[in-house]
Amino acid sequence: MATQIVMDATGDTRHHFNPANAAAVAEAERRFKALTGAGFTAAVRRGEGRSELVREFDPTAEETVFFPRLQGG
Amino acid sequence: MPVDLLASAAFTLLVVLCALIGGLALAEILARHRARAARRQRTAKQRADILLKQWLSPVQRMQYERDGNFEVQGSHSGKRYRIRSERQMNIDELDDYGRRVAVWCFGPERYLPTGDILLAQKIALENDEQAALAIANRGR
Repeated sequence: MATQIVMDATGDTRHHFNPANAAAVAEAERRFKALTGAGFTAAVRRGEGRSELVREFDPTAEETVFFPRLQGG
Repeated sequence: MPVDLLASAAFTLLVVLCALIGGLALAEILARHRARAARRQRTAKQRADILLKQWLSPVQRMQYERDGNFEVQGSHSGKRYRIRSERQMNIDELDDYGRRVAVWCFGPERYLPTGDILLAQKIALENDEQAALAIANRGR
């Protein structure tokens, strides 16, 4: 089961999907494009403490986190 | 006349009682609303903290649990940064001796619990340090 984690005021909202299910993957890809199109940054977890920023949907990623656009504080 | 006075006093008493009961009810509603909001905020903070710890390396997790901050390495410069568990001006740029040489501030444009902010800062510095610092504010 893969997970898309969207950071929000509640901590996060999680969307789980089965990578073997074509319809679920298509839905996850739609979500990915909608979020990144809205300014969210996507990062995939690549192991203990390591991550990678991704600009394209990766159907093999087990865990992708999305955070809102960054700005100077 | 005494009957009128009595009726007037009873009416006044009724109004006062209604206002008192209404005030108490409103205070109770506000207290419950505040308690719910505080619960939601606590839960959000806990969720963000769990997510952060899941994405930290073992060393960073240990630092965070012990000191309330953790170190990351900038993806371009290789510089070390200490991310403190605060919402603003919480990123210390460190020299080779671990001394703070600058403070940086950037974060997500929407409200997020602190743990989420720290995770976004970690991911940004470890993967695209230049872009993160380009938008950040710098202090000393």
